[in-house]
Amino acid sequence: MVQATTPAAKPPADPRPPVAPEAEDEARTGALGERSLALARFYQGKIETVPKVPVRSLADFSVWYTPGIAQVSRAIEKDPDLSFELTGRWNTIAIITDGSRVLGLGDVGPAAAMPVMEGKALLFRYLGGVNAIPMPIAIETDDELIETVIRLSPAFGGINLEDIASPKCFRILDELQRRLPIPVWHDDQLGTAAATIAGLINALALTDRDIHTTRTVLLGAGAANIATARLLIALGQDPHQLTLVDQKGVLFAERDDVDSLSLRNTWKYHLALATDGGGRRGGLAEALDGADVVLAASRPDPTTISPAGIRSMAARPIVFALANPVPEIWPDQARAAGAAIVATGRSDFPNQVNNSLVFPGVFRGVLDARARSIPDEIVIAAARELAAHADDRGLAADHILPTMEEVGIFPHIAAATAETAVGLGIARAKRTREEFYDRALKIMQHSVRLATRLREDGLTLPMPDEPSGGTGPP
Amino acid sequence: MSHSPHPPKESKGHEAGPSASAGLPVHLRVATLGDVPALVPLVLRLKSLNEEFDPLLKVRKDAEKTATEILTRDLKDPEAIVLATEGVGADKDRIVGIVRARIRERPFYAPEREAVILDIYLLPLYRRHGVGEYLLEEIMKIAKEKGAGVLTAEFPLQNHIAASFYNKRGFRPTIGLYSRTL
Repeated sequence: MVQATTPAAKPPADPRPPVAPEAEDEARTGALGERSLALARFYQGKIETVPKVPVRSLADFSVWYTPGIAQVSRAIEKDPDLSFELTGRWNTIAIITDGSRVLGLGDVGPAAAMPVMEGKALLFRYLGGVNAIPMPIAIETDDELIETVIRLSPAFGGINLEDIASPKCFRILDELQRRLPIPVWHDDQLGTAAATIAGLINALALTDRDIHTTRTVLLGAGAANIATARLLIALGQDPHQLTLVDQKGVLFAERDDVDSLSLRNTWKYHLALATDGGGRRGGLAEALDGADVVLAASRPDPTTISPAGIRSMAARPIVFALANPVPEIWPDQARAAGAAIVATGRSDFPNQVNNSLVFPGVFRGVLDARARSIPDEIVIAAARELAAHADDRGLAADHILPTMEEVGIFPHIAAATAETAVGLGIARAKRTREEFYDRALKIMQHSVRLATRLREDGLTLPMPDEPSGGTGPP
Repeated sequence: MSHSPHPPKESKGHEAGPSASAGLPVHLRVATLGDVPALVPLVLRLKSLNEEFDPLLKVRKDAEKTATEILTRDLKDPEAIVLATEGVGADKDRIVGIVRARIRERPFYAPEREAVILDIYLLPLYRRHGVGEYLLEEIMKIAKEKGAGVLTAEFPLQNHIAASFYNKRGFRPTIGLYSRTL
């Protein structure tokens, strides 16, 4: 939600003191936390399974269940792909976590991850029309997680990995993508990277830059930025103009820890070799010098990037400071130091880079196409579609991405995603883009109607702390 | 070879054939005493990598001195093989890799002499071009000339990248080394 006073409204010469917003943010987060806990106690779970077929009497169960249902089983036994036609598999995904990196909380374990996974399932339901089953899994090793997901996969049309620690998340995603005949997505990598790339495409256009000649710095080499780096290169970024910086400084081929990365973090290892520091050595200061773009996804400390660092960049630089809840530099400080475009991860500043802009549409699209996988081409197609919709409404330095209010974008992203899957030859269901769009829109509208109707009929109870019964979604 | 920056002071009379390196981004030759300062950091990088696998492989503070001594000793020892890998093009004359092997007796088993690869390391940018394979072929040739009937390799059991490299090239696990702290 947009705050009454956004930092953008303040004069840029008066840099925002870092303490006040943090305290304000903490107070707000604390109050929301208390309310979440009270409501969790009241509702005892955020989703439940409901019938999607008529049940008039128990007699109907002779077709919904035994004996009639045996024939449906036999059909699927003959042709396993029929499980996408004759059951809800086509629209059902598992939200898988081991609870090893939940929000900013760290390794809270699977049971404590459940409320977060339920919340994600609700988002999938409400925004994407997807049946998402929260499945925190108790595992000891990465291989146990991989094997468990593979064994669970016959029930699902897709897998969403959530809140799994880096660097193990990379191998888990790669291995599951390789071994499963359904799309596997890790939102912390792909969702965030797609939203970042979408914003960057528009930021480059606004500042008359060509990605092929852009010098880019990625600050932070966690799940999101490693995926972003890979997508940037796929989009035409010259790896020798790309510098990754982490706690140890610039990542280059002969850095002391590169051999260790070859064992533990294959993607980061390959990026060390491909970029070789983008020709730079040293730390963030050396990396920023003359750079066109900095994409930061590092740590919530507003002094991570200094105004001097921004001033050392090329003219009209692009600054994405995406750490949550506090960006690596406050937007008005970055602008005062010359940044042409600033994006953050927060909804109370302009240009929020938010993975929730991506995953509902992407999943709608791959599920409707019955895609067998979800390659980077699909992630890029989703990013381009997202970028195009900000463009529709007029690009500006403070409008490079659609906002979460623009729910109309989701079926468009779904259609672009599904069409790309068909083009790549990985779709089981082949329809035109318009057909995919109509279908996605219908499913998403049905989902909102369902939620509204349940609320209006009192089947979902009014929030107990809102005597009026709440003013929920329309 | 003829472009070697260091005159071969302790040459064993063997030089890896340049024809075998055609198309590869490296140039392989027998190491000389003058190479030791450039070889030591490569050995240390390898040992630090081993440290990743087990606390019992913690690298000692005096490792640099030890590496210098061992390399200097082996370069004078006919029962040792030390090859240096040089870059080509802009990296010409720069040492980018090392292989060190020693000939050992096998008192109870036949064949009675084995060559054991103790150190093998390539800087990251030179990997994945078939250089490792080439290094291995050269070491095999020299080991045979020195009368070895078996080629073995020592590396931490948990190094699955090394295990996979050797498995693909006809090696199989024979003797393991299990350790515990005392």
